[in-house]
Amino acid sequence: MPEVQPLVSEFVLKLKRRKVEGSHAVARQTAELLRSVVSQHRMGSTNQAAALADAVRAVGEQLIAANPVELAVGNIVRRVLHIIKEEDISSTAVGIEGLSVTADSDDEYDSGNDDHPTLSAVVLAAHARNALRAPSLQTLLEDIPVSTALSRSASSTGDSDGKSGDKSSKARKLKHDVIAAIGDLIEEIDTCYDQISEQAVEHIHQNEVILTLGRSRTVKEFLYAAKEKKRSFRVFVAEGAPRYQGHVLAKELAEKGVQTTVITDSAVFAMISRVNMVIVGAHAIMANGGVIAPVGMNMVALAAQRHAVPFVVVAGGHKLCPLYPHNPEVLLNELKSPSDLLDFGEFSNCMNFSTQDGSPLLNVVNPTFDYVPPKLVSLFITDTGGHSPSYMYRLIAEYYSADDLVVRRKSTS
Amino acid sequence: MEPDAAQNPNPNPGPPPISAYYQTRAEHHAVISSDWLAHAAAAASLPSSDADADAAAPLPSPGSNGGGVIEEFNFWRRKPEAAEAVAAIMALAAVIRSSRATTMMELEIELKKASDKLKSWDATSISLSAACDLFMRFVTRTSHLEHEKFDAAKSRLIERGEKFGEISLKARKTIAMLSQDFISDGCTILVHGYSRVVLEVLKLAASNRKLFRVLCTEGRPDRTGLRMSNELAALDIPVKVLIDSAVAYSMDEVDMVFVGADGVVESGGIINMMGTYQIALVAHSMNKPVYVAAESYKFARLYPLDQKDMTPAHRPIDFGVPIPAGVEVETSARDYTPPQYLTLLLTDLGVLTPSVVSDELIQLYL
Repeated sequence: MPEVQPLVSEFVLKLKRRKVEGSHAVARQTAELLRSVVSQHRMGSTNQAAALADAVRAVGEQLIAANPVELAVGNIVRRVLHIIKEEDISSTAVGIEGLSVTADSDDEYDSGNDDHPTLSAVVLAAHARNALRAPSLQTLLEDIPVSTALSRSASSTGDSDGKSGDKSSKARKLKHDVIAAIGDLIEEIDTCYDQISEQAVEHIHQNEVILTLGRSRTVKEFLYAAKEKKRSFRVFVAEGAPRYQGHVLAKELAEKGVQTTVITDSAVFAMISRVNMVIVGAHAIMANGGVIAPVGMNMVALAAQRHAVPFVVVAGGHKLCPLYPHNPEVLLNELKSPSDLLDFGEFSNCMNFSTQDGSPLLNVVNPTFDYVPPKLVSLFITDTGGHSPSYMYRLIAEYYSADDLVVRRKSTS
Repeated sequence: MEPDAAQNPNPNPGPPPISAYYQTRAEHHAVISSDWLAHAAAAASLPSSDADADAAAPLPSPGSNGGGVIEEFNFWRRKPEAAEAVAAIMALAAVIRSSRATTMMELEIELKKASDKLKSWDATSISLSAACDLFMRFVTRTSHLEHEKFDAAKSRLIERGEKFGEISLKARKTIAMLSQDFISDGCTILVHGYSRVVLEVLKLAASNRKLFRVLCTEGRPDRTGLRMSNELAALDIPVKVLIDSAVAYSMDEVDMVFVGADGVVESGGIINMMGTYQIALVAHSMNKPVYVAAESYKFARLYPLDQKDMTPAHRPIDFGVPIPAGVEVETSARDYTPPQYLTLLLTDLGVLTPSVVSDELIQLYL
């Protein structure tokens, strides 16, 4: 697809240079890019869904490699792959069920040709739906070769129709359905703030004291919604060094009439005993319920656990990642420039690389993210509702397919 | 041992019956101790109404191969690589093959009889009864069979049953593949007892040239840990053997604990060789992750509330010195580890948190 390649390269460059920041923006742009990829993909005559999925996978591989720490990219790519599978299976199942009406009349003709026992349409549709779900105990013993059965019946559909026009209209329908579904996904990403904010009233009551760290747009909208509903509450905002985004959030909240107090990150432990609830945002939610959050969050979570304060994480569905975190402090972290922490001018003699042994005397570490283990999180509030960390696997099974965990191109062409 | 035993129809004062499940494992994996031999000899000399069901040969009732299923099961069970659950399913598939039923209902009744017989042969084995239930569930769920003729359905059941043997080996390979990411270079792994699944995991990691070392507990009383350490040493993995009491002492240098499971219960906890609970408690208190490698057919519909809430499974213990007559010995062969001490379950259905187990079971059975 030469037409869409410049768009892909441009986005890859933006990701590499970290010009796009924040999972919301990244997720939205990835989804829009993949929609263009799908709409410009030329549908072949056979195996359309697999070819389409392959095209998406090829693009996805590039995007993920550009910024592996930005997990939202991979999430959206896998969502789109799952969408393609779903649309393909639902359209094929409809086709088969339509075929079974005509198949009865052809029964005597067919039975002479087939040496395998013919399977009814209902059976095939059920198996197709099962194939899409994650492997489970139910499907453990039912290893019917769905793909061959489906393709046999799909090709017999083609044979009995005898027109190539029908096949291309099926392909167009698949493409159309996938594009519509990706549009739904984009809308879901956009409206996640509203869906989450609607639940604010259930969690924030009168005269509550809330603690947050840094500035999360989801938390901001959440608190605004509670304020709209005339809940009176106070907020402690930890400033979130070294970017000090907490200052911005405090200003925004004060403008809305929320009584706000700014504290340093080190003061969190001292203030936590006076706090009713901690509400924070996240960069990503991993499959075990662990959270990748801005640096300092693990400290807040530990303080909250020590004083039995509920630790609530608000995050949109596009942040849900089907991967397990292995060594997240190192592998899922970004080290940013030390200039945020120390001024180059003042410390240039310590950080000078041209000393005799060649190594600087002073090392500065500026990580972007922190990992919060699932046992420290009390509740996740997503656009689908409130869930406990041990429930995350269910959402993942709904949105993602098990064999998309590693996004790699399958065909060699 | 006691000459009265032959006259006493109810040998209650004798030693508690050895769980047949652990008997098999002892045959395959363990060091045979002198005490065990003496016990086995005593059991063989008692009348055949004893708990050792191998000696019993139930008369085949007309129209069913009740006795045949036990023989078939024993045949498959003897192979050291095959799991007991797999042997059970192969035996049930053989029952279908040799059945003379002409309707699904008849076939189901025959299968139910055979399944009950298998379960009663060893009431203590969890994976055995879980696998029998799984197979029965598969057979009785008629949604995929109602549109087919009986012969086609029967042949498909036989085919799936026989393929299940491959599933067990495939399951171990899947689990091994999923576990690779959890083993990093330079890590120290603690294992307990002899689990074929855990061995497969470590084998694959070693062949992928990962550098790690293993601490292996002795696993008294059958000392299966020694067998495990032999296997690991044969793969050139650095191994250190600990006595069971040295686990807390060594937990500092451990990065993760890997255990297998005899059964996975509905709460997400596991039933495994005695000592697993202890290790999980120590690991939890020192913030070390505990990973359980178990195939999915071990998921059982049990919910033990405490350690005594399971069918007791006993195993004789050889202390090396005679125990005085009035002293009791705790001979239970297994314990229950609650789910809050387990980090993740590595199964052929994927990497799961303990809360997924009940979900899976509900989907299947209800």
